[in-house]
Amino acid sequence: MVSTFLLIVAGGLVTSTGSGLSVPDWPLSYGQMFPPMIGGIRFEHTHRLIAGFVGCLTLILAISLYLEEKRIWVKWLGLTALLAVVAQAVLGGLTVIYLLPTTISILHACLAQTFFSLLAALCLFTSQEWKNDAVYPCQNASSIQRLFVTTTIFIYLQLIAGAIVRHTKGGGLYYHLTLAALIAMHLIFILVKIAKENKIRDKFLTPVIFLLSLLILQILLGAGVFVLPLSRILVTTAHQVNGALILASAVVLSLRSFRSLRTEIPRASL
Amino acid sequence: MKNKRLFLSQNLGLLLWVLTFVFGFTGVSDAATIAGKILFEGAAPAPETIKMGADPKCQLAHPNGLASDDVVVNSNGTLKNVFIYVKDGLAGKTFDAPKEAVVFDQKGCQYSPKIFGIQVGQPLEILNSDDTLHNVHSLSANSQQFNLGMPIKGMKLKKTFTKPEVMVKIKCEVHPWMHAYAGVLDHPFYSVSADDGTFALKNLPPGNYVIEAWHEKYGAQTQNVIVGSDADTKDIQFQYKG
Repeated sequence: MVSTFLLIVAGGLVTSTGSGLSVPDWPLSYGQMFPPMIGGIRFEHTHRLIAGFVGCLTLILAISLYLEEKRIWVKWLGLTALLAVVAQAVLGGLTVIYLLPTTISILHACLAQTFFSLLAALCLFTSQEWKNDAVYPCQNASSIQRLFVTTTIFIYLQLIAGAIVRHTKGGGLYYHLTLAALIAMHLIFILVKIAKENKIRDKFLTPVIFLLSLLILQILLGAGVFVLPLSRILVTTAHQVNGALILASAVVLSLRSFRSLRTEIPRASL
Repeated sequence: MKNKRLFLSQNLGLLLWVLTFVFGFTGVSDAATIAGKILFEGAAPAPETIKMGADPKCQLAHPNGLASDDVVVNSNGTLKNVFIYVKDGLAGKTFDAPKEAVVFDQKGCQYSPKIFGIQVGQPLEILNSDDTLHNVHSLSANSQQFNLGMPIKGMKLKKTFTKPEVMVKIKCEVHPWMHAYAGVLDHPFYSVSADDGTFALKNLPPGNYVIEAWHEKYGAQTQNVIVGSDADTKDIQFQYKG
């Protein structure tokens, strides 16, 4: 997870510094494993090195899950993660060979964050919390679960919209802003519902507040892109990376809500 | 015998007269020139200092720093690096692309020339004179783009543009301050304003032309110019404001 997070940071810096084509060949860099680290090559080649490391770690993860995990669906998820990282490498190569075609660049951006969320989900599935299978009754379990899923879908659409804005130099900004408002509304709804549920407040309130904090930070960073032109490289990269954290957090919270929330039947109706 | 000599001298004279008329007339029919100056009004913008820390070899080539050359106002109040060309008026005429290449060099971590013209199909010889790694990326919309790594000093590559385009930006993806512009045309009538702001479009056939001047920061301007035959020279000026 940590390496993948760093990879997303490195990838964000490649786009923000305009270094995507500083290495014109792939998979080698100027025909070498280690080209001179000058100019834009510093960003692009560092990104490739971290990607290679993440690829190796993902292979180890997939093999470990295959050998040690009893749940078949978790083994398949490990294989999916491996296929995703290979696909991501291929997309990265295609962006270089075909000189940053917009569609492939957007796919590369979206798959990066999808892969990060997949790893977050795998962390949850292999955690003690998940294995303990603790259940928490609450009156609005279905409603809360639906809200989490809807919010996560909106966040994923926001990821796509953000990638379009980034790789078309501002295209689709209206949709990006609209989705931001929708996500904010949904998170506030979730917060209010969870705050009313005494039995799950301890378990879910803090993570939802954390997610809402990330969203507030994201909105400030988004505004910062326009207000702080001199710091645009850092601000846009931080905005993109924070987006990955938001998506992964929403995915984890959604999965936890389905794992542990159950609708509480009121005593009067028994 | 005497009649024979007279006959020969008269016919030789007639022949010489005809040849003078024909070649003399042909020699001046495409010799019109449109020349002039690019004037600049206002204060020259303060040049930005380019930071070359990203590559120690570039920094070594410019130990005192390097001023940006996006806007160069000459000492006589004219503007350098303006691309002037015939935009319209040559319909139906074709011009062969020269076989001689336009040399485009990377020296001192700068492109040279910064602004240049080239004909469709004419070779562009890209040279790396630096002891550092460059890459050349053409951002053409009409011709196939290229993005070429040039890691070795002395390395040469050749490329051509297949369709006209004004202007094609060329940039180095390793050194972000390096960029140049190529005016790709299907005719040879173009010029770039020099250190004294002057330009000249020579050997034009007679006609009614639209002449465009293009600057990377200040944009494009056009003028209509009519040139006749017989070594007609027209003097025009473009003026940009700072």
